Amino acid sequence: MRIYTGGGDRGRTSLFSGERVAKHDRRIEAYGDLDELNSVLGALAAALGDAPAGGPAELGSEIERIQSDLLQAGAWLATTPGSTAQASLLEVTPHLIAGLEAAIDRMDAELEPLHGFILPGGSPSACWAHVARTVCRRAERRVVGLVDAVHGAHPAPELGEVPAPTPADRQAREQLGLIVIYLNRLSDYLFVLARHCNRRAGVPDRPWAP
Amino acid sequence: MLARRQLSPRAFELELARPPDFAFVAGQHIRVHWEGRERDYSLVSAPAQATLALCVGQVTGPGVAAALGQLDVGDGVTFSGPHGHFIFKPSARPAVLVATGTGIAPFVAMARAGLRGFTLLQGARDAGDLYYAEELAAAAHTYVACLTRSGSVAAASDPAFFRGRVTEFMRTHLAPGRYDFYLCGGSAMIRNATLLVDERFVGSLVFSETFF
Repeated sequence: MRIYTGGGDRGRTSLFSGERVAKHDRRIEAYGDLDELNSVLGALAAALGDAPAGGPAELGSEIERIQSDLLQAGAWLATTPGSTAQASLLEVTPHLIAGLEAAIDRMDAELEPLHGFILPGGSPSACWAHVARTVCRRAERRVVGLVDAVHGAHPAPELGEVPAPTPADRQAREQLGLIVIYLNRLSDYLFVLARHCNRRAGVPDRPWAP
Repeated sequence: MLARRQLSPRAFELELARPPDFAFVAGQHIRVHWEGRERDYSLVSAPAQATLALCVGQVTGPGVAAALGQLDVGDGVTFSGPHGHFIFKPSARPAVLVATGTGIAPFVAMARAGLRGFTLLQGARDAGDLYYAEELAAAAHTYVACLTRSGSVAAASDPAFFRGRVTEFMRTHLAPGRYDFYLCGGSAMIRNATLLVDERFVGSLVFSETFF
């Protein structure tokens, strides 16, 4: 089966819910950033595997689970709220966020308390974790923008009553909200992971000294 | 493998025993695993049927398709699934199903599962490759066979036949408007049909599955 169809050769692509949109559509931008984040996480996983001390197996599995979570989140971004396609999506749950928090707490317990900003850098895996962190923040900004555009609009009263959201609309809104929280937490996870990687590599934090 | 039925000189149907608790939605596919290779096949059987059925393009040489063509009744087939999201999604817009070659498979399953009222464009080289045409025409609101090979004299006077590609029919005979298009088959058809949707059927939905 060919990977290419050429349907996007003129700058338009299909959402999972079937609509044809321009490639600069908000949804495409949002899940494009998630895709970029996922790719950087792949590089991070590779760097963890190449670490002289050996990347711990649980970290590799953890990164892989996060990558899977991001694909799940991306599917919601690629689907118009209330569409029939929405019924086949897997939900992003608070449990996924709790998993990140548990991982953060686990790594943070072994780190020296921070007293100021640190310069991003250090071991290769730490560097990749910092890059992933910043891409994660960009993805978060994009998704917040999408949420505001899709669900945050308040039409002027003279335009008439806003129809009540359907259960599917409410579900989509809740999912986008959870995705924002997930990305917010993931960014913190990646910051702590960077410090954790440096500690394992014997590289000290470099405090910012203005 | 329970049975094989030749559909045309270029395709056959394979009937397989259904594993217990195997549930699927019409339009989904299974992944056949054979000596380190794998290939996806849409199920043509309805979800309620007791056995599973695949539509396989006839090929020679190494590969999963050729291996399936060599099976004897009673031989085992390893597969995983169901996979895929190419399922029918009801909406207020008229549905237009477009298929070339074995891409007709998921639409057969959908029709057998009870889908009605759709427009179906079945693309093939000649009338001999219009497998499942009779049952699909009975299920469809509008059925058109789009034949690319010249010489089908009988087809010329029949409104159910069109001399040309499915995309040409879409361009010349499908009224502009908003539809839900389901495209399945060759990558070239999917590309051309999708670009045509952008050009002439703005506001339509497009779902596609590339077979070859």
